[in-house]
Amino acid sequence: MVRSEEKTITFNFDVSAYRLLGRELITDRITALFELVKNAYDANARNVTVEFQDINPLTNNSKIIIKDDGVGMKFSDIQNKWMVIGTSSKRRERLSPAPFYRKVSGKKGVGRFAVDKLGDKLVLRTKKKGATELICLETDWSYYSRLEDNQLKLDFEEKKPFFTDVENRYWFEEGSEDQQGTILEISSVNEVWSKDDINRAYKELSKLVSPNSEVQPQYPFNIKIKAPYEGFEDRKVKLQLIDFATKKIDLSYNKLNNTQEILQHDKGGLKVINVPPRPCGLLKLHIYYFDQEAKTKYKKHFKTDIDGIKIYRDGIITTPFAEYVANQEKQKDILGLDKRRYSGFFERFGSRDLLGYVEISDEQNPNIVESTNRQGFVDNEAWEELRKLIIEQIVQLESYYKYVRKVDREVTKSNLGGANKDLKSLKKDIASIKKNASPQVKEKLRNIEVNLGKIQGSVNKSIKDYAKLEKESKQKENLFFSLVSLQTYAAMFSHMTKHTIGHILTSAEYFHKNYPNPELEHRFLKIAKNIYKEMLKLRKGVDFMLKYAKSDTDLEEINLRELVLNLFYDIYQDRFVEEGISTIVDIKEDLILNYNRKAIEDIFDNLISNSIKALKGMEDKVIKCSSITTSNDVTILFSDNGIGIKEEDKYRVFDIFFTKTAEEGGAGMGLYMVKTRVEAMQGEIEVAENELQPNGATFRIKLPFKK
Amino acid sequence: MKVNFVVLDDSEDIEDHSLLYSIEDKYDKVHFFNNPNEGLEFIKENLSLNLIVLLDIEFSESDKSNGHKLLDEIYKSSALIPVILWSGINQTEEEFSDFINNHAFGFLSKDSTIEESMQIIDKAYIQLKTSLDNTIEDWIIESNEDKDKPIYISTEGKSYSLNNILYEIRSQTEVGKEFAAKLNALTIDLLLRGKKEL
Repeated sequence: MVRSEEKTITFNFDVSAYRLLGRELITDRITALFELVKNAYDANARNVTVEFQDINPLTNNSKIIIKDDGVGMKFSDIQNKWMVIGTSSKRRERLSPAPFYRKVSGKKGVGRFAVDKLGDKLVLRTKKKGATELICLETDWSYYSRLEDNQLKLDFEEKKPFFTDVENRYWFEEGSEDQQGTILEISSVNEVWSKDDINRAYKELSKLVSPNSEVQPQYPFNIKIKAPYEGFEDRKVKLQLIDFATKKIDLSYNKLNNTQEILQHDKGGLKVINVPPRPCGLLKLHIYYFDQEAKTKYKKHFKTDIDGIKIYRDGIITTPFAEYVANQEKQKDILGLDKRRYSGFFERFGSRDLLGYVEISDEQNPNIVESTNRQGFVDNEAWEELRKLIIEQIVQLESYYKYVRKVDREVTKSNLGGANKDLKSLKKDIASIKKNASPQVKEKLRNIEVNLGKIQGSVNKSIKDYAKLEKESKQKENLFFSLVSLQTYAAMFSHMTKHTIGHILTSAEYFHKNYPNPELEHRFLKIAKNIYKEMLKLRKGVDFMLKYAKSDTDLEEINLRELVLNLFYDIYQDRFVEEGISTIVDIKEDLILNYNRKAIEDIFDNLISNSIKALKGMEDKVIKCSSITTSNDVTILFSDNGIGIKEEDKYRVFDIFFTKTAEEGGAGMGLYMVKTRVEAMQGEIEVAENELQPNGATFRIKLPFKK
Repeated sequence: MKVNFVVLDDSEDIEDHSLLYSIEDKYDKVHFFNNPNEGLEFIKENLSLNLIVLLDIEFSESDKSNGHKLLDEIYKSSALIPVILWSGINQTEEEFSDFINNHAFGFLSKDSTIEESMQIIDKAYIQLKTSLDNTIEDWIIESNEDKDKPIYISTEGKSYSLNNILYEIRSQTEVGKEFAAKLNALTIDLLLRGKKEL
């Protein structure tokens, strides 16, 4: 084949590109303002003013003017940066010019198209210090829009101007020598800005810079809003302050040792421990928790809501939180705080109870990337792990407060008991005084006695009510747990029944269609046996299911060995064979525990299904259960040779909703349930060194004998 | 037409499943494999037979591949084999579409009745029967004298008899696929120009 002379051809942008980069990318006005204010920050501005003129109702004079005193641009900057889509200038130079050296927040080189969301026409005026002239540049988005409309009417093949062919006018104006900065004058404003809108803009802009920020204090960044509304004539945007929090948590990291601080709750103590870094990278985290009282105070004082956890990169907010939604219920919850499973149960916190700042940086967290449309983050491992890390800390905080409340309840209970005692001794004292008292005093004392009796009555009633309430809430919690484990079991059960019923159904059908037929006799025999076998399977499953219907507070004497053997060799036998798992049970024969059967079964049930999941894909699978007895307690070791538990996960495997096996259907309930059950028996559970080598997990459970 | 059923399921109980008995009663041989790799091996070695595969899609992990991968591998060895998925789990739509993309012929639930299942199995049988390779086979059976006549010369210049071509199609070789495509084009051409009528 003969090749002709090679030529080249280039990509072009249709005129509609202005829409793609502007109004269709930046979906709301506040984000658009943010983008432009951030540009001022990146340009070393100390002051930026956002001025709204004639914006309610809209007239020909409606304008939004964003003015900063940053470094400004020279003509070559306009030519090579401002007018270049996706310019790399801020990716090359990640720090703003001396002496500020701010970490620049822009990166993608499209932020300036946000103007299009605010109004159709832009006049940019900019000047560097020392220059004598202002450079002025006009961009008329409505011209692009008209062009686009006209092009739609033309034949597709016809030659027409591209986005990059449109000419934008520029000229020079006089300016004073020491003036510097950039002014964006946006006219043909798209939408009315009501006082509410301005108030929103104010509130959101107050969150632009992190309150814990490392933005150098000697180079502050001030934002001012000017709008024709009372209180906004010339208003400085103050940083969002935080006060009245019930609890403040600060977590940091150690770059030298490469460790990340995380929270760990242990019986009323909230510790900060150091762990290896997670895939999201090292970061700082500040969480403020507000209880009901603190929330009321906060709202009253700051006249704003508590609105969850925000993410700051190098001191400047990442964009998704900029979106202000008037109805807080509809506010974005990109961390998924309010979407966690069983939200509302188990005393969990939501974004309405928490304020917080996550401080990430370019340096430590390069893989956390904001999506170009400013609506969230690129969904990758780093982001997923960041989300998890934050939720884990909240879970620890929840667990801590749950414990504190429990202790409080105990204290109340014993205080009530103490009051009752005091009353009794008071009555005794009075009785002894009464013996020798004068008739008048006796009369008075009798009155006091009557009143004391009344008080005693109400204290006694309180004690009773309290006990009742406690019992009720305990029952409620047990019910939740039963429901959750029932859910897991139901999945397994329905899978099993589907198979079994299918088998029986087709067997019966075959009989029904073909019997009698001497030639098929051998088949009928086999089928009859199958039906019998499958029915037995079904019966066992139903028996197990029935357990859930039984009351679960009764204590009974349980032979631990029998219980484990029953689980291993009856209930789970099929699963084990199917998965190729062999089992070792080494428990003393005469070990009798006086506990609630269902609770103990729950523990083993969950440990077994945990192990099955951990053994997926392994070879020579083994599950082992052994016990060591002393005069005071029994220690149970439950081991498998599965994937094991990573050092970094040891602290969190028992956390509710922590799961490494989501793909196998793990909901992160199992080990949490094991732990709460064990603790309800005054026992302890921990991750021990793996008994089976070279890999695997061992749980050590210690249960005291009841005296 | 003779057809061989290949059943891949990791549960041995399934070998005595009445659906398989019914298939054997109505059609022909059922080959049961509870090791999917052996089953796959069998399929690859017997591409010259008419095969219909029933595939369980929830193998345990130790058996290497799950149904998705197996389906993919079967399709790679021959696109002519109807593969019917036979499963106890309720597939979500997403997984379902994955199977469709991998050219699953149909779905059977483990708890369907024989009657329901047979409708899909009969459909697979009819598809096989009306396929190009089976039309050629029927031709050869009808008029055996045509069997070794050269009918096709490939782009490489090699000559093929009707019987050779049958083998090439069933084995899904390049020559086989090329022949099938050209044959279809030729038929349409003939019909369009009025040279032949069906």
